[in-house]
Amino acid sequence: MRLKKFVAIGTAVVLSLSFVGCSKNNNKNDKVNNTVSNQPSTEGTDDTATDTADTTKDDVLSYANIVLGESYTDISTTIKFYNNRTDMNLDDYNGKKWEEYVADFNKVYPNIKVEIDADTTYAESALLRLQSGDYGDILMIPEVSKSDLSKYFVSYGDLPTMEGQVRFASDMAYDGQVYGVAYMGTARGIVYNKAVFEQAGITTLPKTPEEFIAALQAIKDKTDATPLYTNYAAGWTMSAWDDYISGTATGDATYKNQKLLHMSNPFENKADGTGPYAVYKVLYDAVANGLTEDDFSTTDWEGSKGMLNNGQIGCMVLGSWAYPQMVAAGDHGDDIGYMSFPITVNGKQYASSGPDYRLGINVNSSEDNQKASMVFVKWLTEQSGFAYNENGIPVAANDNNFPELYSAFDGIELVSDDPAVAGEEDFLNLINADSDLMVSAGGNTKVQQIIEHAANKDMTFDEIMADWNAKWTSAQEGNDIEINQ
Amino acid sequence: MTAYTDHKKKKSLLQWVKSRKGQQSIIIIAFMFIPLLLLFTFTYFPFGEMIKFSFYKMSYSNTPKYIGLDNYKEVFNNKEIFASLKLCLYYMAGSIVQLVIALYLATMLSFKTKGGNIFKGFMFFPYLINGIAIGFIFKFFFTRGFVFDSVLQWCGFNLENLPYWLRTQGLNNVSLVGTSIWRYFGQNMILFIGAIMSVDSEMYEAAELDGANKFKQFIHIILPSISTIVTLNVILSITGSLSAFEPPYVITSGANGTATYFVLMNRIAHTNQKVGLASAMAVVLLMIIFVATILQKLFFKYAFRNTNAEDQVVSKKKTRLGVKKNKSKEAI
Repeated sequence: MRLKKFVAIGTAVVLSLSFVGCSKNNNKNDKVNNTVSNQPSTEGTDDTATDTADTTKDDVLSYANIVLGESYTDISTTIKFYNNRTDMNLDDYNGKKWEEYVADFNKVYPNIKVEIDADTTYAESALLRLQSGDYGDILMIPEVSKSDLSKYFVSYGDLPTMEGQVRFASDMAYDGQVYGVAYMGTARGIVYNKAVFEQAGITTLPKTPEEFIAALQAIKDKTDATPLYTNYAAGWTMSAWDDYISGTATGDATYKNQKLLHMSNPFENKADGTGPYAVYKVLYDAVANGLTEDDFSTTDWEGSKGMLNNGQIGCMVLGSWAYPQMVAAGDHGDDIGYMSFPITVNGKQYASSGPDYRLGINVNSSEDNQKASMVFVKWLTEQSGFAYNENGIPVAANDNNFPELYSAFDGIELVSDDPAVAGEEDFLNLINADSDLMVSAGGNTKVQQIIEHAANKDMTFDEIMADWNAKWTSAQEGNDIEINQ
Repeated sequence: MTAYTDHKKKKSLLQWVKSRKGQQSIIIIAFMFIPLLLLFTFTYFPFGEMIKFSFYKMSYSNTPKYIGLDNYKEVFNNKEIFASLKLCLYYMAGSIVQLVIALYLATMLSFKTKGGNIFKGFMFFPYLINGIAIGFIFKFFFTRGFVFDSVLQWCGFNLENLPYWLRTQGLNNVSLVGTSIWRYFGQNMILFIGAIMSVDSEMYEAAELDGANKFKQFIHIILPSISTIVTLNVILSITGSLSAFEPPYVITSGANGTATYFVLMNRIAHTNQKVGLASAMAVVLLMIIFVATILQKLFFKYAFRNTNAEDQVVSKKKTRLGVKKNKSKEAI
């Protein structure tokens, strides 16, 4: 009897104790959150103060105020840089490796040690680590709501100041503060094999969807190459198509983050052959006409690089970041070219350009580490030559040293998406989640389904787009978002 | 009883702690504390949280919003989720095939077979390979013109007549189930062999004397003797097939109509960031597994009822005979 009672009481005590433990933790978290969310507001006031009084310069951490080689040289610390470029840690990486950048950085700041922590499944791991609090000092900002930026990251300064410093500043801005600096910019186009195009008799690059499909047909007829390789199986290569529907297909910087949210039926067929419909139709038509690989379900991303390099593939729809990888994948690097996506808006071609991952600085790091981190970010954008070496669009606002691959972009206007209007920052996330379309947010499945339906011929392209429109509209209505476009 | 407690009450707590019984209790509780704490923190607490999440509309970073049973309604109304549940049928059918193969081979190998141990080793081996590695092996195995197609071409098939193993919807699920069978039948087989070993070999001799062939021996001796293991294996495979994840996730990444419940749940939770909906899916899956397990228990109770009854009758007869014999001995 006693024993049983005692055991029962004992377990009850154990369970309640662990409850207490949990609730304590919760309180702690709440406290941290509170202090964190208070921080940006105070910082904001400080920043406005610096505009008037330059004497407080050194006290407030601000990107613009850092003078490389002069500011914060007395700091001696170790910062952790958490990123996705595992390839830059490898000995056989044929560009400049992380350790070389860090060595260069240490010539200027010998006392700031930089540890590189690279992860192959970055996008998912980073989100989890963000929750756990263990995310280094500098990291590439994963998919978080804009309103949560201040919870995790330090502000680099206010938006007008930052726009004078770096390109794409508005991309990670919230409430007038900038929380992310791109590590390089990319443009959206098509990476292709010049030799294959030449062999197929294509002399001028296609500028409209019709010309593009005709060019693919010519490649199929005249060469042995696969005209367009979809990279269906890799998944993320499919959601890359989402990047072409805004700037590239409309020439409108406000399309993606402002107009799309309020648009009724954004996926419908526009009479002038622009917009998302035109972009996805290129893919549907290419598959339906047999201009893509034979068996899409077993495409091989790593293998596709070499195949494009040696002329077994005509082209692939990928951002400019892919170009150096294709060049490096074989002996025919000179054959690789980069062209814009074949859509012409009112007689003019546009190309979406945008930041690659943005670097954020951990708001919970020590003050010294935050300073050191910001110094490193500024050094990486302004003095390291990183963007140029990686074939990216330079990030520093006054740097116009574009790499060679953009030679085919003469006369093509680069459009970088404007951020959402204040108060609407989360609308795209909300619509994306509820419609399951995940536009520009890992929506692999929907683009893969275009290929499936095109290959199985069980749904016409218009039916697919009508389905998407319906989902989009119901998500807009479900979140009480006004439809006014 | 009352006298007993009265007597106890007189002792103070300290005395009780010092007593043998008190020491026993303290030791038991001290030993229980850590495992219970671990069990609670890593199993019951997260599980409780998950049930809580299933009533909220939430992502990893947003503030959760209470929406009642909406997530559960969504689980049952969403066509994609329903389609993914139907895929379980492929895996269930596969698990039946797998058990039949395993049982057949186990029976063969438990009789004297030349090189039996080598065969056992070879057939058990796939189970030891990491699931992700198996995924990559079969990705290339099924690629057009690669391993599987080449082997079939050696056998005289023409590449043009062969289907696309992963591209054709419907067939691709069969291909994936195939990899799962390949991986797990060896493990089932070993379990069956273990159970069959425990059957008394005299039974076979007796059956042979009575003129029973191998098949009859299997039906009437082996199967009833290993019914527990068969039940266990069926339950494990069916629940396993409800939660199939690795083959579709690695080989096709759930595309092209191969997204099983788990793959879809993973996508909804991590890509679409609907944590609430994914939690509701998990709770629903748990319920389905409960129901499936109970149904199977009932079914096997029914299926093996005759053999058990027969056994009982036989044993009763035996005891009765024994008693009689004893009695007769006594009489003598």
